[in-house]
Amino acid sequence: MIPAGRRGWSLVRPWSLALVVTLIAMTSPVDAQTLTVRAVADALHVRASGLGFISGPVLDRLQDGRSVRVDFDLIVLEKPNGAVVSRAQQSFNLSFDLWEQRFAVTRIGPMPRSISHLTARAAEDWCLDNVTVPVASLGRTGRDTPFWVRVEYRIPERSANAPAEDSTFTLHTLIDVLSRRREDENKAKSVEAGPFRLGN
Amino acid sequence: MRLLSLLLLVLVLLAPWQAARAQDVEPRDGAIIESVDLSGLSRDSLSPGLRRELETLTGEPLNRERLMEIAARIEGEQPDVVAAVRYVARPDGQARVIFLVARISDDDSLVENINTRYIVESVEIQGIPDADISRSLRDRLQALVGKRLDHDEADELKRLLEAERPGYTVERRISRGSERGRIRVVFEFSEKEGTRWIPFTPSRSKFVYHSEQGWSGALDIPMGGRSHRVTAGFMFSNNDDLVEEYSGVRVAFESRKLATDRLGARIEIARFNDTWREPTLFALAADPAIPEAYRTRLTIEPSVTFAPTPYVRVTGGVSLSELESLMHPPDSQNANAVVTRIDYDQRWYGSRDVTQRVEASYELRTSAEALESDLSYTRHLASLRYRYSQRHNTVIANLAFGGISGNAPLFERFTLGDSTTLRGWNKFDIAPAGGDRVFNSSLEYRYRFVGAFLDAGSVWNNNGEMRFRLSSGFGLQGDNGFLTLAFPLNAEDLNVTFTMGVRF
Repeated sequence: MIPAGRRGWSLVRPWSLALVVTLIAMTSPVDAQTLTVRAVADALHVRASGLGFISGPVLDRLQDGRSVRVDFDLIVLEKPNGAVVSRAQQSFNLSFDLWEQRFAVTRIGPMPRSISHLTARAAEDWCLDNVTVPVASLGRTGRDTPFWVRVEYRIPERSANAPAEDSTFTLHTLIDVLSRRREDENKAKSVEAGPFRLGN
Repeated sequence: MRLLSLLLLVLVLLAPWQAARAQDVEPRDGAIIESVDLSGLSRDSLSPGLRRELETLTGEPLNRERLMEIAARIEGEQPDVVAAVRYVARPDGQARVIFLVARISDDDSLVENINTRYIVESVEIQGIPDADISRSLRDRLQALVGKRLDHDEADELKRLLEAERPGYTVERRISRGSERGRIRVVFEFSEKEGTRWIPFTPSRSKFVYHSEQGWSGALDIPMGGRSHRVTAGFMFSNNDDLVEEYSGVRVAFESRKLATDRLGARIEIARFNDTWREPTLFALAADPAIPEAYRTRLTIEPSVTFAPTPYVRVTGGVSLSELESLMHPPDSQNANAVVTRIDYDQRWYGSRDVTQRVEASYELRTSAEALESDLSYTRHLASLRYRYSQRHNTVIANLAFGGISGNAPLFERFTLGDSTTLRGWNKFDIAPAGGDRVFNSSLEYRYRFVGAFLDAGSVWNNNGEMRFRLSSGFGLQGDNGFLTLAFPLNAEDLNVTFTMGVRF
């Protein structure tokens, strides 16, 4: 005879397992780092969800009234980690309007463009929307063959705060270094996705 | 500064109205608005609702809050512009209202930071007393009040503040002021470890494994503040830096600010129990000129350091050691020396994340009769280290020369062939009792945490043969951890040495 408790456990376990697997699948980091591409007026634009760089220490810095520079790199690849077909680099300057409580972004370069009164998400999207690759630079790629896209952003370390590459570490500085990890994660990120075709 | 130019232009255009007034004062709240102008933007760009709002202002009593709200709505509809309101009093008591609109990207300061359109309400210094800043600099800081924040001027002031207080990093922060459109500017000082005139003695904490020599451990626990501290140190069978393997404790008291940042003092008291490897004991037996091994070592080292510049330090002190004989306890010898040392340490932060650092030092230890030393000797050691980093790439070059004359105790003798020097060689094979001459160099390249190195050097006795040794290796290499395989390049047989460990 099977004890009641034992029978109950054996009945519940497959459901528990399925529930756990489902929950893990739902909360796993597959999340949000997805890319979509579209061609608008002979330029390839990219949208990336979950790239969110206006958070953590970057957000703190902006809310302190300081500005933050972000360097973007948009790379079109033949295949995952493959040869570079085309590339665009663009830098932006972000600041946070202390009285409007909204973000302002300026595209840095010979033809600067600016925008203000943006939410954090809208500011991120605006940056990415202003990093484009000419469709013509892709050649046959994209129409005849699929391509992959990698988006990288980097928030340059300010010289004054550059970590001292010092061998004089103490327990205290070790704790500092370990606690800085999350901050470093925020300073650069790369997302790659594909395959895409221009017809997509 | 095109916005400023635009503002000036508008002011010039308004000159006739201004001239008509006896005093250039702003109109009072409630004055009837005679006319409303929009400068820098076509009315057609605005929504019909906002256009109507502007039109209905004429003839209404002046309400500054309402006008500010309209300016904010203009900015909301046109996100690439900033809008400000200008009021002009008319001789008949009425008011003229002008909305000044400019594109953000036409104004360098707004491109840099949108908040520079606001008026500076106050300037504060945090982190150090105001009195620590010169009067002239404080006056220049206060001159920012009442104007739009001039980034160039603020950056220049930040630079001057850092120049006046070289031990600090200055951050410029801004926050909301007490009323809308006003901001507070804060220059926040924080002490920068790397630029202190006198740094604390580097931690010696490490746990290291060497496939030929076994485990070595050292743990430093520093306690205290930014200027004074106490370090308790523990050694666990440490054979990684000297001929001897030693365990024990040490306590160091340090102050790097004795009335001034340029003067520091330190005293260390250490007591270690020593054990010796067989090759070392054989080598000592074979060469009676080398002083004998000891069972315990008690050392007291007081010193004073003066820094003439932030990059140069001169240290003077004494090292008093009592060495209890290994063969004839409780007999002991004193090894007492005057210590003089010069250090140079400077870093450069360049563009594109390039960092360079040069460290150089020369140390002279010489026994003195006045100190009643049983061992008479003089020891010289000069070293140079250069480090170049650019993002994930790092190159490190080391060079050292040393020489001893007289009878130096074993802890003063030079060794090579451990986890940091002549990696791939075993010091107990090269010179088991150490040497009185040393030359050491290494070149290391790292990409992220992967590195390769080439070591070259020699340790020998003045009356013996000098043999030049080379080694190379690769592995995971970081400032705080390593895991490497190293090979002697000019040995008779290929012997791979594995080392790993952490330093912190």
